[in-house]
Amino acid sequence: MMIAEYFSFLPFGKYAFYVWSSYIIFFVTVFWLFYRTKKIHERIFNQLRIKYEREDN
Amino acid sequence: MWKWIQAFASPQNFYRISGTLIPWFLYPFVFLVTIGLYWGLYVAPIDYQQGDSYRIIFIHVPSAWMSMMIYLIMAISAGIGLIWQIKLASVVAKVSAPIGAGFTFLALITGSIWGKPMWGTWWVWDARLTSELILLFLYLAYMSLNNAFDNPKKAAKASSILALVGIINLPIIHYSVKWWNTLHQGASISSMDKIAAPAIHPDMLWPLLIMAIAFKLMYAALVLQRGRDEILFNEQNMRWVKDLIKGGER
Repeated sequence: MMIAEYFSFLPFGKYAFYVWSSYIIFFVTVFWLFYRTKKIHERIFNQLRIKYEREDN
Repeated sequence: MWKWIQAFASPQNFYRISGTLIPWFLYPFVFLVTIGLYWGLYVAPIDYQQGDSYRIIFIHVPSAWMSMMIYLIMAISAGIGLIWQIKLASVVAKVSAPIGAGFTFLALITGSIWGKPMWGTWWVWDARLTSELILLFLYLAYMSLNNAFDNPKKAAKASSILALVGIINLPIIHYSVKWWNTLHQGASISSMDKIAAPAIHPDMLWPLLIMAIAFKLMYAALVLQRGRDEILFNEQNMRWVKDLIKGGER
């Protein structure tokens, strides 16, 4: 309860800690899903590009 | 219709068409999530019982819906891939799993955070919470099984069977609040009738529905992009993939 009270200056008062921590976790999870998608895309493209270059040489 | 499905299900056509479709899901997602968050966090009134803590609903409920919807899509696709050997169906199942796991994680963690001020505890072994946790384990088991085999066909077969068996958990999650005495509340929006005459204020209902649509668009964009990459990897020995990569197209 102490931590929750510490963040009560934020919008949503005594529930600010719970609401904002939920939304932060939401943004991190959504960011992570998009970031992983981008990384997988780059990894596969680079992997295949190197493979085809080796085959051609 | 069947011919169109067959044509779309060919990896090359899927790759081309999905590339065109992604922005049509991605930009509306960003737009709707912005509207939904503004409405839910700023416009929607304070709940008379739960105060501002109820605002977690705008991410918790759509995430929970997504966790079940994605599992259903994953299991049906896995089943189609297993029975009719349609490669694209297996790809959809495989790439859906981490996205579904992400939404299940969100539903669980936001539910836990909401539970603390309302129930006085972060977690209880209540039927709804436990069955949702089992759903997360099913996603993780599916992903682990898919990566446990060197042979992709064996991996798809084993994981598909698991996905199909796990489908039994979906009605358990949905009806858990009716079948058992749970701490978790019953559904506020369980049918179209309830959307027409909802138990919650329209300024709470609309952002909830907007966020639910936004999450579906996000899933569509992610599954198409991940599906495209999975197809490239699976079809790496095909001429069209080689031409595409060497052409530097993304």
